[in-house]
Amino acid sequence: MALTILKHTLRILFLILLQCLVVNKMQLLDGLILPWIYIFGILMLPFETPRWLMLFICFGIGLCMDYFTSLIGLHTSACLFLGFIQPLVQKFLAPREGYEITQRPTVQSMGLSWYLAYAFILTFLHHTWLLYLEIFRFSAFFNTLLHVLLSSVATLILMTIGQYLIYKPKSYEL
Amino acid sequence: MKNILELIKRLHVFLIFLVLQVFALILVFQNMFYHHASMVNSGSDIIGNIYSKRAKLAEYLRLGEIADELSLQNSLLRMQLSVNYIQADTNFRIVSDSLKKQRYRYLTAKVVNNSLNRETNYITLDKGYSSGVSNQMGVISGGSIVGYVTNVSEDFAVVMPVLHRSFRTSVLMKNSTDLGLLSWQTGDPEHANIDDIPKHVHVQIGDTVLTSGFSGYFPPLISVGYVTEVIDNADENKYHITIRLSTQFRKLNYVELVENILLPQQEALEQQAMEANGTDNP
Repeated sequence: MALTILKHTLRILFLILLQCLVVNKMQLLDGLILPWIYIFGILMLPFETPRWLMLFICFGIGLCMDYFTSLIGLHTSACLFLGFIQPLVQKFLAPREGYEITQRPTVQSMGLSWYLAYAFILTFLHHTWLLYLEIFRFSAFFNTLLHVLLSSVATLILMTIGQYLIYKPKSYEL
Repeated sequence: MKNILELIKRLHVFLIFLVLQVFALILVFQNMFYHHASMVNSGSDIIGNIYSKRAKLAEYLRLGEIADELSLQNSLLRMQLSVNYIQADTNFRIVSDSLKKQRYRYLTAKVVNNSLNRETNYITLDKGYSSGVSNQMGVISGGSIVGYVTNVSEDFAVVMPVLHRSFRTSVLMKNSTDLGLLSWQTGDPEHANIDDIPKHVHVQIGDTVLTSGFSGYFPPLISVGYVTEVIDNADENKYHITIRLSTQFRKLNYVELVENILLPQQEALEQQAMEANGTDNP
């Protein structure tokens, strides 16, 4: 239990630093594509995390991100939204008999198609909330939508690569 | 009472979400619409230190480019040395008198963090009030406009660059000497807008735009950019002008901070005049 908490905390801190010091400097298509990979740490939280705890974790991560970037409150708000809808999306995508205690929201545990659906829905919703709140006007609606879509796809690709880097395939665990 | 408790218990997740979300949104809107973002924190010391370490590493990787830039500036400065000029008229001699008084003072600083792709971009510099940086100092780079200082900590300063939706400054069309207001609505780090040049003024593509010096933060005639597009709507009496900025924000490395020593005096006098005449508008 303590090991799990430590593992998740370290992963989240690492992802925040990676986001702020490396990924934010990526300049693809004049900033049209900017992946927000720090949400990977939230997506990987176990299924049985209590919902109130989830909200407070997301609040903390959001504040950390805001400390690094310019508009205070922006990431906090988007992360909270993510923390609120994540269990709902998990419930929506659940297999008929529910999740087992050993299952984790990873490619290795749930399969690639489940993972892609899960990660894409959440990434897209998070990015939509984040980018529309930042721009806060509808005059550039379609431009922002393109920004959201391209960034979500970039985030998804990076997170899926991350999955294969972090988690060992099942056969090794035996 | 029991029912209310039951309801709170059933909705507790949503209530926590609502309270925290309202808190976050208040922070966002407090900071979104003000010039002096009260909680811009990338200037705070911990984050500033992390960013300056990263900037050091990145700087090392492009030392060659920086050396080129500096040697170019050196050669420009060398051309201004007095040994390169002969005295035209020996009847004049320079006396240290009250004819000239220093108005602008310069200070160099290094960029440690710089964002380009957001709606509200900020630049962090490695000098703070311990080096003499204060709020409202103008920032220029290689003779072209960058922005002005909005927040200062002991060792770092945060600059609001032209690339920020709240940034405004007074500019001048070089050919016609008409005044306009520079703002940034393009979302593109290379272009900005001027929206209040009246139609009787003759504006051409390629016209140079300079600072007017009226804002008080920037010295006059600092380069801003040149006109790339003039939109002439029939039902309005003003042009919508797009300019290309002469500052390369992507390559910003060393900047100069400008302090207008006479600004407090000017503002005090204007304030006094306003109060004496009982108007709000100078």
